Amino acid sequence: MAENKKYWVGIEDLHQTEEFQKASQNEFAPGAQSVDEFITETDLSKTSTNRRDFLKFLGFSVTAATVAACETPVIHSVPYLNKPEQITAGIPTYYASTFFDGFDFASIVVKTREGRPIFLKGNNKHGINQGALTARVNSSVLSLYDGKRLKGPKMVGDDATWPEMDSALKSELRGVSESGKSIVLLTGSIISPSTQKAIKEFKTAFGEEKVKVVTYDPVSRYGIRKANEMSFGKSSIPDYDFSKAKTIVSVDADFMDNWLLHNQYVPQYAKNRNPQGEWMNKHYQFESRLSLTGSNADVRVPIMPSQEGAVVLAIYNQVAKLAGSSSMSGSTDGLPEAGIANAAKDLYANRGKSLFICGSNDPNVQVVANAINTTLGNYGSTISTDVETFINQGNDEEVMQLVADMNSGSVGALLIHGDINPAYSLPNSAAFISGMSKVGVTLSFARLADETAVHCKYICPDNHYLESWNDFYPKTGHSALAQPTISRLYNTRQFQESLLTWAGNTTSYHDYIRSVWQDYSASIGDASILFDDFWFNAVRNGSVSVKVPSADWSMQVSSDVLSSASGKINGVSAGGSDTFEVVLYTKVGIGNGSHATNPWLQELPDPISKITWDNYIAMNPVDVEAFGFNMHIGEQLPASLAKITVNGMSETLPVVAQPGQKKGTVSIALGYGRGAGQEEIGRAAYRTKPSGGYEKNENDLKVVIGKNLYPFVAVANGVMSYKLTGANIEAAGMVYPMASTQTHHTLMGRDSIVRETTFSTFKSSPKEVYNPAHKLVVREEGIATLKDVDDVDIWEAHPVKGVGHRWGMSIDLSTCIGCSACVTACHSENNVPVVGKDEIRRARDMHWMRIDRYYSSDMTVEKGAELDEGIIDTYREMEVPEYENPTTVFMPMMCQHCNHAPCETVCPVAATTHSNEGLNQMTYNRCIGTRYCANNCPFKVRRFNWFNYKAYDKFADVNPAQDATARMVLNPDVTVRSRGVMEKCSMCVQRIQSGKLDAKMKGEPVQDGTIVTACAEACPTNAISFGDLNDTKSEISGDEGDNRTYHALAEIGVKPNVSYKVKVRNT
Amino acid sequence: MHKEAAIRTPLILGNKSYHDITSDVIGPIENKAPTGWYVLITIAGLISLWGIGCILYLISTGIGVWGLNKTVGWAWDITNFVWWVGIGHAGTLISAVLLLFRQKWRMAINRSAEAMTIFAVMMAAVFPGIHMGRIWLAYFVFPLPNQFGSLWVNFNSPLLWDVFAISTYFSVSLVFWYIGLIPDFATIRDRMTKPLTKKIYGMLSFGWSGKAKQWSRFEEVSLVLAGLATPLVFSVHSIVSMDFATSVIPGWHTTIFPPYFVSGAVFSGFAMVLTLLLVMRKVMKLENYITRKHVEYMNIVIIVTGSIVGVAYLTELFISWYSGVEYESYAFINRFSGPYFWAYWIMMTCNVVTPQLFWFKKIRTNFILTFILSIVVNIGMWFERFVIIVTSLHRDYVPSSWSMFHPTWVDIGVFIGTIGIFFFLFLLFARFFPVLALNELKSILRVSGEENKKENH
Repeated sequence: MAENKKYWVGIEDLHQTEEFQKASQNEFAPGAQSVDEFITETDLSKTSTNRRDFLKFLGFSVTAATVAACETPVIHSVPYLNKPEQITAGIPTYYASTFFDGFDFASIVVKTREGRPIFLKGNNKHGINQGALTARVNSSVLSLYDGKRLKGPKMVGDDATWPEMDSALKSELRGVSESGKSIVLLTGSIISPSTQKAIKEFKTAFGEEKVKVVTYDPVSRYGIRKANEMSFGKSSIPDYDFSKAKTIVSVDADFMDNWLLHNQYVPQYAKNRNPQGEWMNKHYQFESRLSLTGSNADVRVPIMPSQEGAVVLAIYNQVAKLAGSSSMSGSTDGLPEAGIANAAKDLYANRGKSLFICGSNDPNVQVVANAINTTLGNYGSTISTDVETFINQGNDEEVMQLVADMNSGSVGALLIHGDINPAYSLPNSAAFISGMSKVGVTLSFARLADETAVHCKYICPDNHYLESWNDFYPKTGHSALAQPTISRLYNTRQFQESLLTWAGNTTSYHDYIRSVWQDYSASIGDASILFDDFWFNAVRNGSVSVKVPSADWSMQVSSDVLSSASGKINGVSAGGSDTFEVVLYTKVGIGNGSHATNPWLQELPDPISKITWDNYIAMNPVDVEAFGFNMHIGEQLPASLAKITVNGMSETLPVVAQPGQKKGTVSIALGYGRGAGQEEIGRAAYRTKPSGGYEKNENDLKVVIGKNLYPFVAVANGVMSYKLTGANIEAAGMVYPMASTQTHHTLMGRDSIVRETTFSTFKSSPKEVYNPAHKLVVREEGIATLKDVDDVDIWEAHPVKGVGHRWGMSIDLSTCIGCSACVTACHSENNVPVVGKDEIRRARDMHWMRIDRYYSSDMTVEKGAELDEGIIDTYREMEVPEYENPTTVFMPMMCQHCNHAPCETVCPVAATTHSNEGLNQMTYNRCIGTRYCANNCPFKVRRFNWFNYKAYDKFADVNPAQDATARMVLNPDVTVRSRGVMEKCSMCVQRIQSGKLDAKMKGEPVQDGTIVTACAEACPTNAISFGDLNDTKSEISGDEGDNRTYHALAEIGVKPNVSYKVKVRNT
Repeated sequence: MHKEAAIRTPLILGNKSYHDITSDVIGPIENKAPTGWYVLITIAGLISLWGIGCILYLISTGIGVWGLNKTVGWAWDITNFVWWVGIGHAGTLISAVLLLFRQKWRMAINRSAEAMTIFAVMMAAVFPGIHMGRIWLAYFVFPLPNQFGSLWVNFNSPLLWDVFAISTYFSVSLVFWYIGLIPDFATIRDRMTKPLTKKIYGMLSFGWSGKAKQWSRFEEVSLVLAGLATPLVFSVHSIVSMDFATSVIPGWHTTIFPPYFVSGAVFSGFAMVLTLLLVMRKVMKLENYITRKHVEYMNIVIIVTGSIVGVAYLTELFISWYSGVEYESYAFINRFSGPYFWAYWIMMTCNVVTPQLFWFKKIRTNFILTFILSIVVNIGMWFERFVIIVTSLHRDYVPSSWSMFHPTWVDIGVFIGTIGIFFFLFLLFARFFPVLALNELKSILRVSGEENKKENH
């Protein structure tokens, strides 16, 4: 039996030998010493280890253990077990991809390091944007690492798994489809053929007529599509070609920043801004606020927003008169006649080679704009009749209808694409939210639990675009691809994959796109090309362009349409005299608000106002003075708060004096005030206190940044209007601190910093007229002679001329439009810390490169002398910009890498030195932080680490480097600087180094163009060029001898390696 | 021909005997300190602790707790530094330069003036230290051998010259002061009865026994040190001024700076000596030693140096116009008419107008007016440095970077703190050290004693 089974420990046990029995009686085995014996052992005293030694050993062991425990934490780097092909640690990999969020379209190249995307640049080889992108696009890499992104799907507020979601949603949607209610897919403009196909499958699965797609643009351009439908019978937007236009007249179209395919227009525009060419385009801008585009115009005419239609009509009438066709009746009272007449004359003179565009969302105004272009014969040349643009498909009328349907209960399911946020950005968002509660199934694909998603029953978070496959068809004949550059960070799923899953298609989206493209390649390509090759090239290049067949789109505006449209324009009232007109616009950094939680963009100074971290009422200084509001904003000069009331809505905002803003109007940016319902939309979404931590209001709620002005957007005749009349503004009697990176706005007549001239002067005059060299009186052997400042040198020159490399940069002020894409590119490349509003207010921004913006002033030293003003008054008046309509100049400013650098001589510890390649280098390890170098820098480009930005509490919510996830965006090639050290532009020395190494590996000299700094790469107009001044074949060495080239502050003899080119205006 | 010099007013009044001098000077050390002293040192001590707290907060948090910004990288820190160094100058001038010129009246004031120098230079030295972003690496400024081989300090940098200038100045001043103290410590030692105090003063006096040989060596060393210290009076502030003069910033880049700074330093130093001594002579009953004559002499020095400073201000203005340099002329127009015009006019009033009042004998021999004006001069001299540093930086070449400087509570706290520490140290000095060079004073007693002369007849 089992119980009787006996186990023995050895042979002795089995046999029960005598010894064994005897031994088993003893507790201790023989030979083992008992404790008693041991402690009484007399021999013990003879051992060499005495008590003292014991204590010594004890002490030693304790100390050794303590010391061993004090080891500094070791961060292990884990080598690849199987090294992925193409990825070598320390070597970046680049992938072509595409950015599209409904607002910006850009073909991009993603730089990844060890599998992490860390930098975005425009794809300058392929794509319609020719490498151009905006600050919003290159900053979007940071949104990938937003720690507040949803980590997985959510069902009624709880975490769920994808299979759970799928089964729940399938049955819910099936139920809705059978119930007779509609399923609405609310999206931004969908320009992706594969997505459209996926939506089609979804439609098929849930009932063709049941599923409705409503397209919504937060900032609508519906008026243009509608006007084109009225004019030409096709709801479409044609493709504009700015490179062919000799005269460009824009009425409030901010085509350099946000109007249609602006990333395509900017390089086209810039192409003809080079005064070296035969001709330069001439740009007229009629607008109420000083926009980025307006600030670059050759002729800028301030107008009232309510005059917009009348101005367009007046231009039409003038053009029609010149062309001999019939004019429309329209009042010209109070219009800027000279500006209109000149613009019309120029347009007509360059007919067929001119372009008239209008930013109005009023279809009637756009019809007249179409009529101007048809009269000028611009269709077929500057406006393509063959190529259509597919972005901005938003249909305001359908969106408004949807809100009504939701509230009436006829919508059974509402699926909201993640790029849009209607609960935030709809003017009637309250109605939308209440409508959502009447919809049975609400679902959001948002990546964050944003204003809309929190009201949804289901959230199926979409992948970030850098984690996704995607394709785009932005305009006829041009296709683009997006590929994932990192595997999904969280348990998210691509929007299209979700739709397909519910429709019953389980193909991976990659395969799905591939199959769509297989059909596409068959339709466009010749059969001899293998699809695999086609696909490989398309993915590698990021886009494919094909020749466009001629379209039969007749571009004539019938006189009936025109007269009916122009008739409606006349009805626009100018409003009362004591009220203001309001322009709602989008800012360069924040755009429509989807980037509001990106700290790089919040900290990016507005190119015009230079204000960060806020939106505000921009008002003409004359009006500001009349109200008695604060004119100046500075560290201790807060802005006045004012309450603006329009159409029964009011909001309190700070007032900023904005020269160039039309008197009697104000402009306020959209896109602010995100997260008013305390949604988790990102760490940088809320105001932080000067001491760190979020600011809380009286209800203990976090305070949003800026104010949301979307509710102010008017809906007139089913179209959203961003121009309002009849606004009342009253002082709120309070002040509000504002953070501006530039508090002085004029150049003080210092023409050795910025030089500008006109196109005619440039063409007709010698260099001495527009770019004179600085002459110094030099006494040699008793004879005084005038010598060029470049030939005078009291220092020994650095031996860099003609020896090895000599890196230099040339910046063309003519083509710089001030868009600030370079600023964020530099931010991203060089791990520039984000310091938050309070530090910016204290004039401690850390930007290595900045764009100085100067307004013209009415006063000059010469004028003051003529008027016998006295120098003190003259200078005081020179500080004041022209209020009415100043000319604006942008000057990118970064370390000038002086060959006689004032910073280098004063550093007591030689922490900043000159390299043998002409660079001014900063050695962080050696810096003790005396700030002497920064004081002695004539360009004030050095930035000091006032705090430990990467760890100090004050910056916990603003600086990405303090977030474990966001830290992944840091460039591993660039040190994150510690507190107390000075930093500044290094001319991307890490890129120079790797470029040199690459060339060395190839065994050839460094080729011009292989090393590009981040700013030069980001510049959409190629205003910045970088290269080796010692390389006689390089572009930059050619620039050195250019007639327009000058060095800023040449007379002080610091001999910079950065040069500027005189700005030429075509006035 | 025999010409007898007119009988001068004696330097020490009140028919003092040798013993009187000894007891007048050592009395306060031997006796219990008055309550006032305890009150004052408590206040000074509290202010010092506050200042040290501010400094610790600064060092632990970052330079950002000050009001500096990207444009104005130095403000109160270096203003205070230059101000304190300047104050220090009077002590060395009095003890060294006046010794060489055999100005015997200096003997009544040199000890406290030197103490003031030592403490002022100590306060000055605080600022270049704490203004560093990474003070823990401050040893980088010393040319120390290191494992990096060629890594060395930058001998072109005026800040490095400062390091050498200030440290040399401090050591020479300290040695000079201490050597002078030795015979006096010995006197104290001899009078002390408590064994501990006796022992301490005994150690401080280095075994001085007053032998003729020791006195002879004492005199020789004093003369040698005076010879060493004299050039330092001129070099230290010249070098400090080169922090600005060698730069490229309009308003700093000025060749006039070295002499202008030296005279400014002497100017402010004498003002500070007056501020301190006018109180001390009253409180410590030293009216017979520090007399109206001393005050008048010092006020004359103030007129001279103040006028030099005034001429320098006007010269700067003239040159800024005469140079025809756009930036230079704007820098000065901005100084007197820009956002910091008030600082400029405070400086002008305090430093140029005020000392001219001393042309009136009534004013320069009035103790109360002198006391008030000496404080005014020190305020003016602080503003001079502020004007030079901040108004030059805040609007330099590129208008886009122009900004303003607004001090924070830490800026103010550190400055007030150093004043507290300075007075704390000075009060300790007044309590435990012989405030007059008593043994030296005895050498001028007879010479000027009218009584003595009468007895001989």
